[in-house]
Amino acid sequence: MKKTLLAGVSAGLLVAAASAAHAQSIDYGSLEQLFNEPVTTSATGAPQRSTEAPVDMTIISAADIQRSGATDLPTILSRVAGLDVESRGAGASDVSVRGYNQAMSPRLLVLINGRQVYLDHYGYTAWATLPVQLSEIRQIEVVKGPNSALFGFNAVGGVVNIITVNPKFDDTGDITLRTGSARYGEVSAAKSFKVGERFSARVSAGAAKSDEYENTVGVAKSQLNDPSRVTANIDTVTQLTDKVELRVEGSYSNVQVSDMLSNYAYSPSKYLTSSVKGALTAETKLGQLQLSAYQNDLTAKHLILGQNARFENQIRVVSVQDLFKIGAKHTLRVGAEYRHNEVNTAPIGGAQVSYDVLSASAMWNWAITDKLAFTAAGRYDSLDLSREGTFPAGSPPLGNGYWDRKIEEPSYNLGLVWRATDVDTFKATAARGVQVPTLVDLGALQARVTVGPYTIGLAGNPTLEPAIITNYQLTYERALPALKAEVSAKAFVQKTEDVKGQPTSAQIDVAATLVSLPVLSYRNIGDSKMTGFELAASGQLTGGFRWNADWTHTEVDDEPTAGFSPLIRTAAYAETTPENSGNVSLGWTGGAWTVDGYAHFVGEHRAYALYSAAAAPNLVDIDAYAALGGRVARTFDHGVTVALSGQNLGDNRQRQSAGLEVERRVYLSVSKTW
Amino acid sequence: MSKTKPAAALAAALLTIAPLSAHADAAKDLQIAGRALTFLENGPTGKQVLGVVFDPSKPASVAEKNAVMAAIGGGMNAGALTLTAKPVEAGAVSGVSGVAALYVTTGVNVGAAAKAKKIITIGSDASCAASGACVMSVSADPKVEIIVNRSAAAAVGAVFKSAFRMMIREV
Repeated sequence: MKKTLLAGVSAGLLVAAASAAHAQSIDYGSLEQLFNEPVTTSATGAPQRSTEAPVDMTIISAADIQRSGATDLPTILSRVAGLDVESRGAGASDVSVRGYNQAMSPRLLVLINGRQVYLDHYGYTAWATLPVQLSEIRQIEVVKGPNSALFGFNAVGGVVNIITVNPKFDDTGDITLRTGSARYGEVSAAKSFKVGERFSARVSAGAAKSDEYENTVGVAKSQLNDPSRVTANIDTVTQLTDKVELRVEGSYSNVQVSDMLSNYAYSPSKYLTSSVKGALTAETKLGQLQLSAYQNDLTAKHLILGQNARFENQIRVVSVQDLFKIGAKHTLRVGAEYRHNEVNTAPIGGAQVSYDVLSASAMWNWAITDKLAFTAAGRYDSLDLSREGTFPAGSPPLGNGYWDRKIEEPSYNLGLVWRATDVDTFKATAARGVQVPTLVDLGALQARVTVGPYTIGLAGNPTLEPAIITNYQLTYERALPALKAEVSAKAFVQKTEDVKGQPTSAQIDVAATLVSLPVLSYRNIGDSKMTGFELAASGQLTGGFRWNADWTHTEVDDEPTAGFSPLIRTAAYAETTPENSGNVSLGWTGGAWTVDGYAHFVGEHRAYALYSAAAAPNLVDIDAYAALGGRVARTFDHGVTVALSGQNLGDNRQRQSAGLEVERRVYLSVSKTW
Repeated sequence: MSKTKPAAALAAALLTIAPLSAHADAAKDLQIAGRALTFLENGPTGKQVLGVVFDPSKPASVAEKNAVMAAIGGGMNAGALTLTAKPVEAGAVSGVSGVAALYVTTGVNVGAAAKAKKIITIGSDASCAASGACVMSVSADPKVEIIVNRSAAAAVGAVFKSAFRMMIREV
């Protein structure tokens, strides 16, 4: 079902061309049809065939998404080999790559058409806020392993880049009505259109709601929300001249979900997001030049330690890059980026924490021979942190100057791709990624809590060091054209230095003074190592059948610094990472009928749980489980499709994480495409 | 059978499946050729005629020409193009007209004549582009491969879009 490959390095966007005009944005459809395989720019920034990308990448196609029967992105991602998805509720999940999953997972960078949609004040993704309808996604590119040299800070565990249809090239339209158990209701619509020869647009909107999973684990009602979301998006492409294109996108989302906060307590969270982005691309004698800028605005309301917290986060990003080819063998990309990120302190306000990042990056792809290619990408980020505002009573005697700090880190991706034969490909990759502390970690969290008879401060730590993730991987892929199948085997080793530990009432981080309270904070608590392998196979059979199977094994070893316990710092990844996970799927298409079934296996592991705001999170056992899903659909005339689908079909209720137990949900949908 | 035997059998089967030899499938190759032409700057669109160059003294060339003509038939859609074909004897290339490109059968070299006419030449044999006899070589199986000879392309004034250039092999 999925096109799996391996890839590894840089940034980019655009560049390619279509049949008619001098197009600048990439025409995925034409290139995919030409090369008979998916095309991506998420590996190096340059357009590449998926099988030749020097990173470990899985591409989920629009057809895969439709056949999944899923109503959300985490369900779709859970069926990708090596991705760990923990459900927190009917509208919230955390996703990670090869372990290290956690509440408000900060190791996965998520983008839509290259714009980051993960929430940058705390570096996590509230999936329901993503302003995209499943029907308008062309493909989802999942990069496993660090890709900071392309995307910058926080592309450490992996990257999910969601590519929508492009109104310039794709004439699409869809409206979907869906109902289901637990009072599920959804409507979504997406349509692209052209006005004249030079202007095209895509507009989309959707809304959904349902009941939250039944609360069988004892979470206070006040900590839960029935999930609902409203999202909208507009995407326009204007061909200014034959060689210059302007793409402008805007988005909006209004969402409420039951979130699991990073201390593993539930919060009835609400999000309001908006964004605007412009990208100017020109094909010049110097290469393909692109200037892009965007702004993301976020209002996030949480219940933190029983206190209402409202974060107002804004990021502004301006980047420029040039992509060009020298001679027959060398493709290069050079780029620079400026980023501003700011958020207020909360739950106790009165101050603003922000940083500015200047970055320079470059990528070099060298076709050494017909069979051998080498890619090197590097990036250097320089971050300036600052704080403005007042301090609450009882804070340590520090001034705003304590936040005047610079973080400077390089990152790289190296990849060697050897096409030994027409069907055998070997890849070797090495990468260094940087997980910069979030603004919340660095000081935006500012609270006061009562523990027994004591009052304690809770605050971010501006001296927190970034976590450095190095990853090495070997991959072997073999096409089996006689069987219409492909197999792959991968082995990987990863090390995370300066793992971030959460505040805990079991360990005071800043001692009390005569004028200040003791403080709990984030700390770097040591290192962690992960090794593992992944086996995957997929193919097609006669009679319209398709199949997929994969198995991922990961072993994590936490190596804490003396004086710190990963267990009490809610960073015991050796305990919380499942050693084994896998997927099996079988599908069939015959005439107007399509039938697909999915089984997702997760081995036994442990997970943090905190059901009472006054307690500390503790580890609970999660037994091995298999989540079953499926879809039966029939297509009628005039592009009408009726589908019956379901997720978690094996049990009425299933424990997949330490949070709310996942319920069986079934859906009936009617969609029309044109 | 023990648990290990099926796995061992599968592994043995995978290892013994030899790579398929390149199989010239005229229809697939023509699809690639037609779609590749749309990535030319100011490239052709709509209905276009492909000249199929053959050497009547070479049976293999004639057979390939016949296969190409049959594959295109009354018209073949390839991306934004609808291709029709007409046979062109190698010796007649210098006088050919009304074609968007020349599809050169294996073993035929009309590079000089095509350059003089500023016509793009496409072959299904990789050596055609590698040697400079063709501007471009295409093959669909077992994996799509496109080779463009930069000097041959420059000689006929063919400029491919940069994204396309980054995804193919240039010599």
